[in-house]
Order: sequence, then C-alpha cells, then structure tokens
Amino acid sequence: MQPGLAATKQAARVVTVGGGKGGVGKTFLVANLAVALARSGHRVVAVDADLEGANLHTCLGARAPLASLADFVAQREDDLEKLLVDSPVPNLRLIAGTHANLGAAQPSQLRRVRLIRSLRQLDADVVIVDLGAGVHPAVLDYFLIGDECLVVLAPEPTSVENAYAFLRAAFYRRLRLAMVGHGVRRLVTQAMDQRNERGIRTPLDLLREVESIDPVEGRRFVDTMREFRPRVVINLVRSADDIKLGFAVCSVCRKYFGVDADYLGYVNHDDEARKSVTARQPLVDYQSNADAAVYLERIARKLAGALPAAPGAGALR
Amino acid sequence: MKALDEQDHYEILEIARAATAEEIERAYRMTSAAYADDSLALYSVFEADDAGVMRERIDLAFRVLSEGDRRREYDEQLAQRGGAAAHSTARHFSAESLAVEDGDLRTPSPPIPAMELPPSIEGFEDLETDGDDDYDGPSLRRARLNRGIEIDQISTVTKISSTHLRFLEEDCYDELPAPVYVRGFVSAYARSIGLDPQRVVAGYMAHLEVVRGGQRRSRPLGRA
Repeated sequence: MQPGLAATKQAARVVTVGGGKGGVGKTFLVANLAVALARSGHRVVAVDADLEGANLHTCLGARAPLASLADFVAQREDDLEKLLVDSPVPNLRLIAGTHANLGAAQPSQLRRVRLIRSLRQLDADVVIVDLGAGVHPAVLDYFLIGDECLVVLAPEPTSVENAYAFLRAAFYRRLRLAMVGHGVRRLVTQAMDQRNERGIRTPLDLLREVESIDPVEGRRFVDTMREFRPRVVINLVRSADDIKLGFAVCSVCRKYFGVDADYLGYVNHDDEARKSVTARQPLVDYQSNADAAVYLERIARKLAGALPAAPGAGALR
Repeated sequence: MKALDEQDHYEILEIARAATAEEIERAYRMTSAAYADDSLALYSVFEADDAGVMRERIDLAFRVLSEGDRRREYDEQLAQRGGAAAHSTARHFSAESLAVEDGDLRTPSPPIPAMELPPSIEGFEDLETDGDDDYDGPSLRRARLNRGIEIDQISTVTKISSTHLRFLEEDCYDELPAPVYVRGFVSAYARSIGLDPQRVVAGYMAHLEVVRGGQRRSRPLGRA
C-alpha cells in the first residue's frame, strides 16, 4: 500500500498534480489547494514544474520572481531553498517556473533525480507540485514521487483520453523503474508501444509475460501495481453524469490497469473561478462561498486528513 | 490482478460479498453506465469486443446475485473454491439509483433515490450545508449533485419547470415568483432529493427575505 502522508515525520509530504491534457485546471487546483492547506495551518510550498507554461505564480497573485525552478534545471542554482519566494498567503511559499529556457525546459536525468530528492527536503509540511501537460519522462517522474498523485480531468472525451494516456505512461514508467532484471525492463519498454510485436495489449498480458520469464519479478510487478494509487479529480463538473464519470474512470483503471484508483472529488464549473483567475487571486480567497470554492475546500480537507497535524493547524473552513 | 474471466460476480460489480439486494441493484446500474456503449470513460481504453464481454459479465453477475436461490448456490460454489476472491469492502460501487417516480406538489412523492458515494466523497457530506440550516441556491445544487440527481429529474417528479428550479439554485431572486410559490418550490425540491423540507424551506426563505429585504416585488408566476 502506498505510504500515507503521515508515514514519515521528517520529509515534506509531496502532492503531485498531473493529468496529461492542458487546460483542465491543474494549476487552478494546485493554487487553491495550496492556499486552503496553508490557511489551515500547514506550511506549504507550491512548486511550478510546468516550465513550458509557468503561471502558478499568477494564480497565486504573486509577481513573477526573478529566480525560479528554471535556474535549478539550468544548473545556475543548486539549492531549492534559495528559489523560494513568499506568496501573499501566510504559510505558503512558492517556487515559480518562470524564465525557463524553452529550448531545454526539461532537466537531465541526473538533474531530475537531484530535484526530486531536494523537493522532499524542503522545509515544509506539504509540497504541492503543478505538472505540465504531456507524458515527457520528466513529467512522469515528478508525478510518481507524490505521496498523493492527483490526476485532473474534465468531463470531455479529449481530456479523458489524455488522462488515460497519462496514467498508462505513468503506470508503465513506474513498472519499468521497479523491475530489476534487464530482460523484464526491456519487456516493459516494449509493452509501452501499444502496437508492440509481442501482442501485449494490457497490463495483464504484460504480467503474464513477466511471470513466465521471472516469477520473482512477477511478484514485484504485482506489488508495484498495488502501490500505485492515483487519485482522480473531475474538474468543470456541470451535471450528475459528470460526477459519475469519476467512478467510471476509477472502475476502468481497476479493471484495465489493475490499479486501485481512488475518486478524490470533483469541482463544479463556476464562473467565479474564471473571475478569480482574471483577478489573479485563488478562488478560495477571492470568493470563498462560491460553488467551486466549496468543492475545492472539500478536496483540501480530504488531503489534510492524510497530513500529520501541523503546529497551529486548524480545521479547513 | 485478474482477467475478466477470472473475476467472480462480486468483483465484476465491485461490491462486497455481504452486499444487500439494494446495493447489488445500484452497483449494477453504476457498472452498466460505466461500461455502456456511449460511456466517456470506456471507449479509449477497452476494445469494442472487450467492452461487450464486460457488459455480458455485468448482466450475468446481476442476474445471479439478484435472485436469492441462485445467489446462495453461487456463494456455496465460491466457498467450495476457497472464496477468497470477494472484495472485503463495497467502497467502489456501493449504490446508485436514479429512478424517477411520478408525483406533484399536492401529493408529495418519495425522494428520488440518490447515488451513494464512496467513502472518499461521503466524508464531505457534513460540509453540504456547512453544518447549519443556512440553505441557499448553491447549497441546494450541491446537495442535488452529491446525490447524483439531474435537475430534469426533479422537474419530472415535482412538475416544477426546470427554469424555475434553476432560478432557485442560482439565487435568481428577481426571477422567482411570489414567496408563497417559492416556498412550495423549495419544499418539493427538498423532498425530491431527500432533504428535510421544513428545515430547507425555513433556511431558504430566511435567506430570501434577507436578500430581498422585503422591498422588491416579485414577478407573478409564469412570467419567468
């Protein structure tokens, strides 16, 4: 089972927010969850890892800082703590993603490992990471380090397709990293190609192949699947059918991937949300009684329930 | 991880071995919707053939588990096989039902059966009205959506136009008719989604009174 947020006392708990498709509200969700958690007394760091489309600072109402994660990626700065800037919200600091070199926005493998390690060492209770769209290995690696891995999707076909593609890619990458034997890793790599020559169509097909090669790796495969528990958030909900989409997606994940996805919650479509972005203020501050703000607080409360009690932490509104 | 043909009927419907008849029926509705031909969640993952097999498995599971004798017989077979396959909890599809029943304002109809949410969502139910009786339009809407009920279903049950129901939910006070009608609307709305009509009416009307300030005149019914 995936370790809960309260499992370790020392390291910051990491919440990663991905989803594959742009425009589904990942940054909006990160900004509002970060504020809601900070307002409840948790020391929060929000990290904009979407270097090719950084705008988390805007959603938080902060100015574009001169130093950002891009400096870490470009090896101009080695200490993440030095990239932290205060936000307008007490208890909430930001590592922005501004001023990236768009020709080299993704870090090298070595740099990525260092970044992942450094995120956990930040002086915070919670580090919440906003990921970019797509399935670049760097995006997947950031996603997979989360103690809580949130997948955001909107109730529309393109978003659902991309969310599955994202989950599929994350799932196979996690498997590939978990497998020890070279032959099995190569097999997983082959399976990532949906038209692979071995005819591996589903994770179950892959499991059968792995078990036939190495039973020990087969057991590791199953354990890895059990530990991977993405949490689904449906954004821009307009109807009860949209809400039920979350249940259906989780069911498909269980039946197809063998992954026990969990439905974390949903956020209503709300004009106030758009207005809050225009006002460059998180919705939970801009209009705390707005429909969508209530749902965001609910999700934050669910996340906070898994957090260790922070000194001075109070209940979410 | 098991292939579809290795999963027992309980696993197919994602319910506990001890699921009640009502839970089985609701799980059947939910899984049927999830794996329907037009399901948004399905088409980009499952091949058409696999989806068809899945639907057949869902139908078979429901037929067996919804008949007392067949279910007992099936349970015995599972027990003989070791029976370890059943899920220990029913958190995935514990319940769902959206049946609509006829009724109108004069003869109060029973509430529309609500979709039971899994623990991850149910944990938030206490926030539905922020713990008090301060009902306004958005809180009614949230309560409705939390129960998986569409506005048209309420309209069918209560015979109130969906336009007026939306005005209620969106706090469009200027578009609402006189208070006596609003009171009836709110009462029927609350009843249809399983809320206590008296508490909801009291909360909503108090809210309405504050907003209107007793000054604005409402439009007569029918001029929305």
